[in-house]
Amino acid sequence: MKQIICKSIKFLPVFLAVLFYSEQAMATQKHGGIEGVIVHQMAHIIFVGAMALLIYWLRQHGLVVNQGWRRIQYAAVFFLLWNSNAFIVHFLEEQVDILDMAQIGPWQLRLQAQPGFEWFAWLYYLVKLDHLLCVPAMICLYSGLKRLLEAPASESRPGKMEGS
Amino acid sequence: MIITNLPIWIVDMAGSAAMIVLSLMCLRLALKLKHLDKSNVIWTYLAWVCYALCLFAFSRGAGHILKHVMVMAGRVNIWEAIRPFSGSINTLSFMVVSSVTLFFHRTWIIYRDIQNDKLALQSLSDELLFFNSHLERLVAERSKEVAVSERKYRRIFEVSKDIILVMGKDGIILELNPEGYAMLGLKRADSLNGKRFKDFFSDEKDWGRIEKMMERNGFVTNVEIELKRSDGARMGSLVSGSLDANQPGQEETIHFLVKDIEQRRMMEKQMAQADKLASIGQLSAGIAHEINNPLGVILGYTQLLLRNEKIETDRYNDLKTIEKHVKNCKSIVEDLLNFARSSKPEIKTTRINEAADDVLNFILHHSKLDGIDIIRNYDEEAPPMLLDEKKIRQVLINLLMNAGHAVGKKGSISLSTEYIRQDNKVAIKVADSGYGIEKNDLTRIFDPFYTTKPTGVGTGLGLSVSYGIVKSHGGEILVESEFGKGTLFTVLLPVVSPETGD
Repeated sequence: MKQIICKSIKFLPVFLAVLFYSEQAMATQKHGGIEGVIVHQMAHIIFVGAMALLIYWLRQHGLVVNQGWRRIQYAAVFFLLWNSNAFIVHFLEEQVDILDMAQIGPWQLRLQAQPGFEWFAWLYYLVKLDHLLCVPAMICLYSGLKRLLEAPASESRPGKMEGS
Repeated sequence: MIITNLPIWIVDMAGSAAMIVLSLMCLRLALKLKHLDKSNVIWTYLAWVCYALCLFAFSRGAGHILKHVMVMAGRVNIWEAIRPFSGSINTLSFMVVSSVTLFFHRTWIIYRDIQNDKLALQSLSDELLFFNSHLERLVAERSKEVAVSERKYRRIFEVSKDIILVMGKDGIILELNPEGYAMLGLKRADSLNGKRFKDFFSDEKDWGRIEKMMERNGFVTNVEIELKRSDGARMGSLVSGSLDANQPGQEETIHFLVKDIEQRRMMEKQMAQADKLASIGQLSAGIAHEINNPLGVILGYTQLLLRNEKIETDRYNDLKTIEKHVKNCKSIVEDLLNFARSSKPEIKTTRINEAADDVLNFILHHSKLDGIDIIRNYDEEAPPMLLDEKKIRQVLINLLMNAGHAVGKKGSISLSTEYIRQDNKVAIKVADSGYGIEKNDLTRIFDPFYTTKPTGVGTGLGLSVSYGIVKSHGGEILVESEFGKGTLFTVLLPVVSPETGD
């Protein structure tokens, strides 16, 4: 222990020199602009991947024969669709050169698309109704959990555990 | 284009509220499931998913609602300040839900392994319980079978008419069945106490032979030996045995089965004796017939010459000598013919007790039997029999004379009769306390001209003639003798009833 302390003391001048005589090291960077959107979009992609994997695993383990788990699978499908939908919304919102959107008053919306991209406006309007996907997802999840709770143990928790 | 955003607003507001409510409801159900089975890792996993979804629903739903409220209230600047935080939490909540979801596969495998282990343990436990109860029953049944088997083999051991003997490797008798005690002349109260099997062998060489065979083969089969009873009597035996070396945890033992073949040996000897005597009888009969006729001629001519000769002359005396010796020869030939049973018995009703008593009185009258105890023991139930009385008397005379000679000056002679009802036979027994007959002589005493008496005292035909007479009556003559202690002759005659003739 004593040896370690002695060795540490030897490096103390070097440490102090670095601390007091340092220039700008560029060790951190600013996070502005579109970075937040990219992170958010990546989160949606990860969510999509996670839901796809969940569906795959539920099927692989044969759980979907059970009604409760089957409904949870449907919830995963809806969540997958909702994430895709949300990804499109955010993508369209970032296409400011093609699609210009602005709130005109409390209940009106102006959508101005470049010629040839008019359908962007319509698509944007449609995908903005994203709760039509995530609410059914939650309903399916609720229904699946309810079914698992109500079903006999042997049904919800298969006795013979198989799968990889 | 300008379009109403009312549908978007309604769906957003209602959806956000519904998401919050539904996420709470889902969490409630997931917690219920978890509460139902706290050890179930899948329910725990679902609870975590629901927690994450709640966070997501709250951050997103509350953010959306707040945005609409602020916009409607004209406080867009406030919303603009909150928006980055709401969006960040929203992003974070996605990530949490995604991360938790990605654990499903691993969680499920853990759950599956736990369940499988649990099932295996349960199955093992059930199996153990089953085996435990089954084992108890099985052990009980097996014990019962073993007890029955043990009883059965114990009975075989106890009721066997042969010797069953268990011997240690050191030769000491470990176990002996009751018949073994009886045959070896031991009392049950006697402890085997280190007795060795070899001590009961008459000839040590026999034991050595058995030992060698046992070492070489591990067993012996039907080895003929002679055993020595504890009282010194000998017993012809057949020994079989095997080495028992396969008992784990137990010392090697040798199991012997010993059969008493003394009776069989005796019978074989008797049959051989009977065969020998029959052969001698045939030979004797042939010779006797051939000699009898010339003797008759010699006797006839001698007697014819004697008629014309004056008494007291030398010639007369010579002829008388010839006549006397010819008569002796004829008597011997007659005895030989009696032995060979060539003369037909003259059957008449005979009371055996009376005949025996007459003979005994005759002997007492004509022989010097002073100092000898005479014991008579007649069975009053002995029935009248069809016999050649004269010849039977001759048999009794021969036997009593021999007894008198054997006893000498002091001792006892016993004459007894016994009616053996089950065999319908009468036994006439002549016993003496004389010097007995040596074992080697026993097989030859019925041979013609065999005698242990000094030369000139006996012809050696007495017992041969008696044998022939008894055989001609369909009977048997048996002898038991112990050298130095006495002899017992038993004449067994079948009862032929005068009424029925059979």
